[in-house]
Formats: sequence, structure tokens, C-alpha cells
Amino acid sequence: MTRPSPKEIQAIAGAAGVPVSADVAARIANSIGPAFEGFAAIAGTLPFDLEPATFVAVQRAGSADPTAGKAAR
Amino acid sequence: MSQQPALMSLQAVAQAIAQKRLSSREATQSCLDRIAQWQPRLNAFMAVEAEAALAAADAADAALAKGAPPCALQGVPLAHKDMYYDAGRVVTCGSKIRRDFVPGVTATALQRLKDAGTIRLGSLQMAEFAYGPTGHNAHYGPVHNPWATDHITGGSSSGSGAAVAARLSFAALGSDTGGSIRMPAHFCGVTGLKTTVGRISRAGAMPLSQSLDTVGPLARSAEDCALLLGLMAGADPEDPTAVPGPLPDYLAAARQPIRGLAVGIPRAFYVDDLDPEIARILDDTIAVLRHEGVRIVEVDLPDQRQLSAACQLVLAVEAAAFHKRWLIERPQDYGPQVLMRLQNGLAIPGVSYLEAMRWRGPALAAHLAAAAGVDAVIAPVAPVAAPSIAASDVGNSPDAEAVIQRLTRFTRPINYLGLPSLAIPAGFTADGLPVGIQLVGRSFDEAMLLRIGAGLQRATDFHQRVPVLP
Repeated sequence: MTRPSPKEIQAIAGAAGVPVSADVAARIANSIGPAFEGFAAIAGTLPFDLEPATFVAVQRAGSADPTAGKAAR
Repeated sequence: MSQQPALMSLQAVAQAIAQKRLSSREATQSCLDRIAQWQPRLNAFMAVEAEAALAAADAADAALAKGAPPCALQGVPLAHKDMYYDAGRVVTCGSKIRRDFVPGVTATALQRLKDAGTIRLGSLQMAEFAYGPTGHNAHYGPVHNPWATDHITGGSSSGSGAAVAARLSFAALGSDTGGSIRMPAHFCGVTGLKTTVGRISRAGAMPLSQSLDTVGPLARSAEDCALLLGLMAGADPEDPTAVPGPLPDYLAAARQPIRGLAVGIPRAFYVDDLDPEIARILDDTIAVLRHEGVRIVEVDLPDQRQLSAACQLVLAVEAAAFHKRWLIERPQDYGPQVLMRLQNGLAIPGVSYLEAMRWRGPALAAHLAAAAGVDAVIAPVAPVAAPSIAASDVGNSPDAEAVIQRLTRFTRPINYLGLPSLAIPAGFTADGLPVGIQLVGRSFDEAMLLRIGAGLQRATDFHQRVPVLP
């Protein structure tokens, strides 16, 4: 996953209904770039059969609270 | 009573009022006296409600005099971060946009503390919309650190950290989405509990990120945090994400011995690039744990930089989504830094956000496996002690995001994993600034963190030290 360029950011923000100037887009690109770079090794590698609710299942299965675990089953 | 009532612990003041050794009015007046002295120096309070607090204190005393059985915190005066809805009262969320907002409902966490008999001293300052780790606020000014008033408190629960440290309130609610309870606990020398996502209802608490937001207390000790957690935790029909079921006795857990427990120290990331004084205090704390019979084990945690990056992606998008209407209609009413950070979320593609969300389960599983052999992991809260207000006033400068990310690099991975973490005072720098450490536990295992934290506090006195009025 590569960081969006200022031009791409202007397009994405505009499509979201909150247009930003070229200056703001450049500043956003600078701000969020490290997050994209930090996540690059994970992006595009997740298995197909994985959904966001996996977090809740893992959280409650690995919980110290047996009641919380039951709630997830 | 020779000691100022405001200097007592939460447990001690509650007991003294219940046993009629101290009146609620005396406790409340003592806090109000200290607020009058400190508030001009700290800017910790958004509003002080002295007359109403004293009237409520008198009512609590009258009920006790009539023989009514005392509630757990009968007549104890508290103030909270100004983001907990309290029906009929202004809740600013630290913002200009909500300067006059009056909610119609009361936050569940706040209501449970009211049901336990607490009374309201007023409301506490915070970062605008809880989106800032330093304690600066473009609309209401910075909150000042009671230990050195030209230094920051940390945020976003800035007023909570300052008010508890200066003994203006016996405890305070904060919230933690990227470190907002632990940062002020660390910088101000108080105890702060970031709870597991799902442990305390978030109904009626201003949202920032629905996946990461947590409610928790800042107090003067781990035992006081345990008392508050026991009153607030559990299921809530208003918030289906609050996990049901019977709760442990947190106060009893905090009183358990710690000998024989195992604490993990990460081999990397949390011990890298630390200010030498933070490194020294971390080592000192580990030595205390060893002395108390705790086994210290080195642990290899998964790559925390990836967790931190994922946290940033999730938080930025969810915050931007909550604020989108105001970003369109009222962008001029945000402070420059908060506007800048909210705009960041507009630029993250939906697929990137969802990938970060989908990875949360596997990332948590990997962390739990890596820490399976220990009862908790110890780590610094931040790589430095409180910077000066001037040096950290970065506004919306090009470096602002980098400064923020550096300050919160040890807290964000824990938010992404949704884990509980207890920040406790662990020492002081040569300049007299407090330094905390955090204990990170398994999901829903706040009881273990409180046990270890209270054990450390039985062996040290950092949490009992009180700043002196400059």
C-alpha cells in the first residue's frame, strides 16, 4: 500500500464531499504517509475468510473473564 | 481532622463521610478551597459549580443524618472530563462547536457514579473533541501541569490529570482512544486505567472512534481506580458493546499479594529511544517488582509499529466520519490542529480502513500468544517526561503529526488491540517531573493490572506525593 499523493488526496476528499486545497492536500499526504508505510507489510496480505468480527471472537476467547468468553459463543 | 480532607484518598474520604467522621460539606469545601487556589494556575476546570456542589453536599449530609444507609461514594465530590453527557447541563467537549450543547441524556458511566452517591464539583478541561495528546486547547487555553506549570499535562484528559494530581477532585473520569488517560496520568503523576474495549459502557460519552474509545478513571491510586471500575463496569442496555456478566471484585483483587506473578518486559520497541530518565525509572520499577517477588520475563512482542500505523488509520477515518457534517458546515470553528487531524481521515481509502479493521483479530491473537507466559507486560507510557507548553505547541505546523505520533507511540498499539492498561506513577526526573509506567494485560483482565499496580504502590510512595502551589 503506497501513500496517496496530494493529487489523489484532493480527489478522495472531494469525492467524500469535503474538498481540500492543494496546500492542505500536501500537508495531509505528509501527515498520513507514515501510517501507510507502517501498515504496508500487512496491506494486501490478509486471508479471504477473515472478517472484522474476528477481533471480538479473539478478544473474548483470550479473555481472563469466562463470562465475556461465553457471551461471544 | 488535621489533614486537609481534599488530600485524602477516594476510599478514605468515602469511609470518613459514611462513618460521619467528616461531612460531605467539609470534603466539598476543602476541594473548593484548593480549586480557588490552583485553578488560576492550572486552568483545569471548564466550570466550577461551587454553590450547587455545597447544596448537594448538604443534602448528602442530611440523608446520612436521617439514618439512610450510605452508598459507596455517598457525598464524595468529583469532577469529570467535559465530554460525559449530563442531562440538562452544558457539555462543551472542549470545543467551540459544542460550547452551548445541552444533552438530554446522562452518560451511563456518569449515572452509575451518581447512583453511588457522588456529587458534582463542575466539569474538567480537555483537548478539543478529545483529539490531542498534549493538553493544548485552541479555544480554552492549555491546561498546566501542577508539578511545573510551564509544562503540559498531556491529553486529551488534561483537566482530569491536573485536577487529580493537585487534589482538586478525588478522582475523575477520562477517556482513552489513543492514550488520553495514560498520557495525563504519566505526565501528572496520577494513576489512570484504560479499560478493555467493552468493559464500561460508552453510552452518553462523546464519541471519537467507535472501535477504539474507552471510558476509565484517573485517581490517586490503583485501589481507588478499582473502586471506581467496580461501580461503572458491566452491561448496559444503552450500549450493546458493553460486555455482560458478573464482574470480579476489583478492590479485593487489588489487595491480593503479587509475589509469584510474572511480568513481561518487551525486548524491543518499548525500550528503544527512551529518554535516559525514563529508562532509569523503568529499570527502577522492574527492580521493585523483583524485590516484591515478581518474576520478570523478557517477551518478544509482534511488530508494534504496524499496530501503531493501523491504529492511526482506524482513528483518523472514524473521527473524520463522526465530524464530517461539521467539517462541511463549520470548519472555521475547529482549532487548527484538530481540523488538520480530522482532515487527515478524509484521505484514507475505505479499503485501507477496512484492512486495518480486519487485521485487528489476528494482531490481537498474535499479541496474546506472545504474552501468554506472563500476567502483564510493563512498558513506558511515553519516551519522555512532560515537555514544556511552548515546545509542544505545534498547532497545525508541518511537524505537528510527527510530534503527536512520537508522544503517543507507546499508547496507540494498546488501543488498537483494545487491551486494558494501567498507568501508575513510578518516579520523578531530576527536574521534579513525574514519570509513569504502564502495565498492559489480557482482554478484560483489569483485575490483574490493579493487583500488580496496587502491589507496586504498597512498595513505593510516588502516588502519594502532592505538588506544592508555586
